[in-house]
Amino acid sequence: MKEKLAAIAAELPAAYADVRYEENRKVRILYEGRKLSEVASTESSGGHVRAYADGGKAISSFSAPERAGPIAESTCASASLAGKLREKKLRVADAPALADAFLLSPAQDPRRIPLKEKLDLVAHYNGIILGEPHVITTQTYYDEFGSRRVFVNSEGSAIEYELLTCGIVGFIVAKKGDVVQRVRFAFGGCEEYGRLLDREEELKARIAKACELLDAEPVKAGVFPVVLDPSEAGVFIHEAFGHLSEGDGLQNNPAFRARLQMGTKLGRPVLSVSDDPTLEGRPGHFVVDDEGIRGVKTRLITEGVLTGRLHSRETAAEFGEPLSGNMRAVDAHFTPLVRMSNIFIEPGESSFDEIIASIDRGYYLVGAKGGQTSGDQFTFGSQWGYRIENGKLGPMVRDINMSGELFSTLQAISMVGDDLTFGERGGCGKGSPMQTNRKSGTGAPHIKIDAVTIGGV
Amino acid sequence: MHPLIQTAKGTVDQAELYRDKRHTISVLYQNYRLQQVEENDLSSVALRVIEDGRLGSTYGVFPEGDRLLDAARTAARYGDPATFSFAPAAEYPSVRTYDDRTAALTSRDLVDLCEAIKERIHEELSDVPLFIRCQARTGDLVVETTEGAAGAIRSTDLGIGFGAPFRGVGTAIFKGQRSIAPLDVDEALVDEFVEWYRWGDNTSTPSTGRLPVILAPEASFLFLLPLLMGVSGDLVSKKTSPLVDRIGQPILSEKLTVLDDPLVEGDPNARPFDDEGVPCATHKIVENGVLKDYLVDLQSGAALGRPSNGHGFKAALFGGGTETPSTPWFANPVIEAGDASWRELVSGLKEGLLITNGMGFHSGNYPQGQFAVQAVGYHIVDGQVVGRLDKTMISGNIYEDFRTVRAVSRERRRAFVGLLSAGLTPYILFDSLQVAGK
Repeated sequence: MKEKLAAIAAELPAAYADVRYEENRKVRILYEGRKLSEVASTESSGGHVRAYADGGKAISSFSAPERAGPIAESTCASASLAGKLREKKLRVADAPALADAFLLSPAQDPRRIPLKEKLDLVAHYNGIILGEPHVITTQTYYDEFGSRRVFVNSEGSAIEYELLTCGIVGFIVAKKGDVVQRVRFAFGGCEEYGRLLDREEELKARIAKACELLDAEPVKAGVFPVVLDPSEAGVFIHEAFGHLSEGDGLQNNPAFRARLQMGTKLGRPVLSVSDDPTLEGRPGHFVVDDEGIRGVKTRLITEGVLTGRLHSRETAAEFGEPLSGNMRAVDAHFTPLVRMSNIFIEPGESSFDEIIASIDRGYYLVGAKGGQTSGDQFTFGSQWGYRIENGKLGPMVRDINMSGELFSTLQAISMVGDDLTFGERGGCGKGSPMQTNRKSGTGAPHIKIDAVTIGGV
Repeated sequence: MHPLIQTAKGTVDQAELYRDKRHTISVLYQNYRLQQVEENDLSSVALRVIEDGRLGSTYGVFPEGDRLLDAARTAARYGDPATFSFAPAAEYPSVRTYDDRTAALTSRDLVDLCEAIKERIHEELSDVPLFIRCQARTGDLVVETTEGAAGAIRSTDLGIGFGAPFRGVGTAIFKGQRSIAPLDVDEALVDEFVEWYRWGDNTSTPSTGRLPVILAPEASFLFLLPLLMGVSGDLVSKKTSPLVDRIGQPILSEKLTVLDDPLVEGDPNARPFDDEGVPCATHKIVENGVLKDYLVDLQSGAALGRPSNGHGFKAALFGGGTETPSTPWFANPVIEAGDASWRELVSGLKEGLLITNGMGFHSGNYPQGQFAVQAVGYHIVDGQVVGRLDKTMISGNIYEDFRTVRAVSRERRRAFVGLLSAGLTPYILFDSLQVAGK
């Protein structure tokens, strides 16, 4: 396949073109309560073509491999049409051609574990949750994704590479009276199946939290100082700042480009943020991206100052900044987008106790529950939290969503903990149509934000 | 009959094949410039089987049909006992879903449509980074079962959406149109976009407390998605829905009537059968605030001891499609119109909010009817829009706060963006919601 695609790419009438073809395998096992709702082991394949011609760009996805040649040619013609309608021409940054193979061989390879063994593991964890009297239902989900990809481009790159991730995630749904609460758990998030084993004690701690939440009070609406735990702080930096580090989002937004010039002071000296796909065992680890570029660590904020950005070849050329290798697609049905790998807040010097003690009246928010951004506006939820009163943790609170504006909130990060922790399970939605990328990780220590808006009763 | 169903007949107890082929062209403009042209030619299949009384499923793109069947049979070996049969033969209602003029559109045609909108908006707002996305899809969907169901439709869907972030910030405003037939630019929609964009030149933050709120059609998902979870036969059968045993009882304001109507002629959401091959029909879900029925698919129907009412769709909060198992979902949720004009709703408020979007919806406890979102929209004082909302959240529970609706507009619109592909919905004025602001 690689040779066939390379021959197609070499002949295309374009300034630059690439073709990616992939074979994907997924395993899904889902328990909902006592019911085994889904057992599926599936395969799919498909390809994607990108072309730049006459300063324009076109892309195509296809299912049938024999269509690769004709589709690549028509994609070049569409790119040329687009180019004729553009005054400012698109181009890609120079990059070295790469001919190599990057295949994975984890110690416990999930692709070699029998389906029955995975099924028994999920049933075991699901059974532990259902053993708690307040639990009314569960969602316990095993998810495995393996992709073998061939990438060729018109400049001579020819790469074979693999992506692999497995994890068990789920929700514990508990009820008491009219109050129903869901708490999330997640194990794994990388290519090592062994990460999923022997996690019973952590799961039991999560079940206890779900039951404790049933007696918690709803959070009060208002503006408060908050402490975010590493899970929340990781999602915050991903959602609120990370997406504005992605060159394709900024490329055609003059207002944000002006506000995010290199050297801009975005936060206090305690704040440093990096993106690093080279961290093995983290959800966002990869060697090459879907443009055939090696992923490298990028220091996005250094002691409060903007020092880096994530790029594709097109946006690197547009901004005149270095390549970072962050151009990734979920599968062949989608075009690559500039995406974070493992984004994290670098550790600071404060202890958890010092951070809590610094607040007279506020909240300690725990456990990321997803988030959303629109430019500089962000919103995200917490699974549970605690009131902070006179520097001490108080009663538990529930139903927490917070929101704010990025630039003022970054400036409001006043303390950063010494306890950097990475999440085990990744996930990020971006694009239209949306691409939900599991290979995206977050990390952070505890942080203090002086003021955020909390929606509540 | 598809060869795979033919083969399955002699091999497994029952089988259900779902096959989706689609050809899509789209063009994307960013900051008034044509950023890319896209053309996709994709097909996918999903197969469910029942073998030895157990259910198994698979999906994908397979070069050989037998591999698909083998994968489904492997899954069935470990699957739960099947509690239902796949759909039997049925007569499907007739509804128009296809227009051959849309199927014949080229990327050049889409470019011309985008250029017309671009020129029109550029006259008014030349300094904003306008984006436009136009997409034309032609699809062939087949659902066949060994029990006799045989549904096949060809459909077209042309959508054009445009928007821009407000000056200097990231919060954006969107407008759009969808149709199975070729579209002309809706001048009134463009005018409204320009008016609403200019409303956002100033910002305003209301005080924390309870205020009247107008939910615009664009934000109808904040109401319809919690309601969807509540009326889902799946959640009802698991007893996690707050609407268990509530049929016939008032759950919302008497001013609210919600239907699922997949039989609207020429509507892009129109469907004669669901993704399980069960005939679609128009169902009243809530009538004058009273809960009338649940959405039921084959599996939840078996759990509830009733047949599917044709609401099994491969849908999910984010995405959906061939890979997604069927679940009870709206095909085309619509909310009945009232008699006020939406501008009268605005001008009648001493202080209130006009909500056009809510951010962070999915991180709330929405299956229980709750929402707590960053409010995107406008602040109204003395009947006038004084600016777009800044640093503002709204929160509540639809089963408590949506019992007191003051008025519903006569104008209805299809939301172009949002988490749910809704049909026509009006502006709804709620008596008060909790607002976190200043």
